Amino acid sequence: MASGHLTKAFLRLGSHRPFSVKYSCRLYGTAAAAQTRQVQNNSPAENDKILNKPLKHPDFFRLSELFSVKDLFEARVHLGHKKGSRHRLMEPYLFGCRLEQDIIDLDQTVEHLQQALNFTAHVAYRGGVILLVSRRRQFSYLVESTAQECGEYAHTRYWQGGLLTNAPVQYGPGVRLPDLMIFFSTLNNVFQQHVGIRDAAKMNIPTVGVVDSNCNPSLVTFPIPGNDDSPTSVELYCRLFKMTINRAKDKRRQMELLQGLTSASS
Amino acid sequence: MPCEFGPKQNMAALCKVVRAAKTGADVGVFTRRAVCVRKPTFSTGSSGDSGTVGDAEVTAPAPPEKPKSGFAAAFELHADMRQKQDRVRPSSASDETSFASMLRRSPLVQMGPAKDKIAVGKIFHVVGDDLYIDFGAKFHCVCKRPAADGEKYQRGSRVRLRLLDLELSARFLGANSDTTLLEADAVLLGLIESRDAKPRE
Repeated sequence: MASGHLTKAFLRLGSHRPFSVKYSCRLYGTAAAAQTRQVQNNSPAENDKILNKPLKHPDFFRLSELFSVKDLFEARVHLGHKKGSRHRLMEPYLFGCRLEQDIIDLDQTVEHLQQALNFTAHVAYRGGVILLVSRRRQFSYLVESTAQECGEYAHTRYWQGGLLTNAPVQYGPGVRLPDLMIFFSTLNNVFQQHVGIRDAAKMNIPTVGVVDSNCNPSLVTFPIPGNDDSPTSVELYCRLFKMTINRAKDKRRQMELLQGLTSASS
Repeated sequence: MPCEFGPKQNMAALCKVVRAAKTGADVGVFTRRAVCVRKPTFSTGSSGDSGTVGDAEVTAPAPPEKPKSGFAAAFELHADMRQKQDRVRPSSASDETSFASMLRRSPLVQMGPAKDKIAVGKIFHVVGDDLYIDFGAKFHCVCKRPAADGEKYQRGSRVRLRLLDLELSARFLGANSDTTLLEADAVLLGLIESRDAKPRE
């Protein structure tokens, strides 16, 4: 069931051929830039095999062994804000309220985190551009260094209005937009929903977001109900996403090497 | 299994040494037979039964064919049980404890209302006279550096706090939801002086 859903989402993230521009609203660089990301040596049939094989397994990258309920508990992921700050749409994800502090249900969080990490791994496996976003100044350095360590991108500064929606005008014609955006906190500094969530939804970019008990989870594609304020929990998320992305990229390199070897021998 | 070093191997080695000493001393038949019967962990002990004064067993004790009796049997049973427990315990501890029971036993819930509870915190950031102290809750608290022993309050120092509130948030007039400061509130009582690890965290 998950693989079918993923296959549909990934039709557009297939091999980056120049003529696929007109089928998606994604803007590519020049034709030369689009071609460099294409896999050169393998035939289209082998390419399809590399791309389709992970979709057949529910947990191809074995991400469930990366974390457990105990790890989340010790990182204080279950702690939410006070009852008065609660968002109505977060009520299904809450375990309860203890002395006016909301407690997030970690059993649900584990499932959501598993789905989010799996999706991130598949995007990274297919060479997608991932953008890590957080407007929490306390963790901006951590998020930026995480992005650097896994070879992806981060945006932890003021979000200019037309960054996604007006990209060709602001950044030049032919700009590649991210294929996935990961929000370590979905609120900005004035406790309103981050503009990036709405803009990503407008541009058909899937989002993964950590939603605390005062956040709106509706527009986030893969919400992860959890604490986004404690340093321990944000460090845990950063570590998990970094390991996921690195694992997926290593797996891709491994699969291509294997294909190269088998095609060379045959 | 044959390669692990445990009390069973030590005991077997001890028995081997004692037996070699006994055979070497050329004692009478009764003693030798008694020695053989009491140490059945030797699989090749049957060859020495008739009295050949051979060398002690060169190889490490192989798995015995004869059924054990007495202390050796009881010892092996207990050793197996303990090994099985050790193998099973690490996985079962994390699987069987559900989130609800972890929550129920957590210090945060056991503490109850945070008002006037004593907690131990650790300073993780210092800005001039402001100390940012993390005591294990969702938020940290910020306290002013006290006049007494001011220089001792550095990054990494453990301090005693009296908690007042876990999150400073209130509903203001005309607002839809609470305004929160993303901070806890606590009163700094003093440093933790002793160098030994305190049992309470």
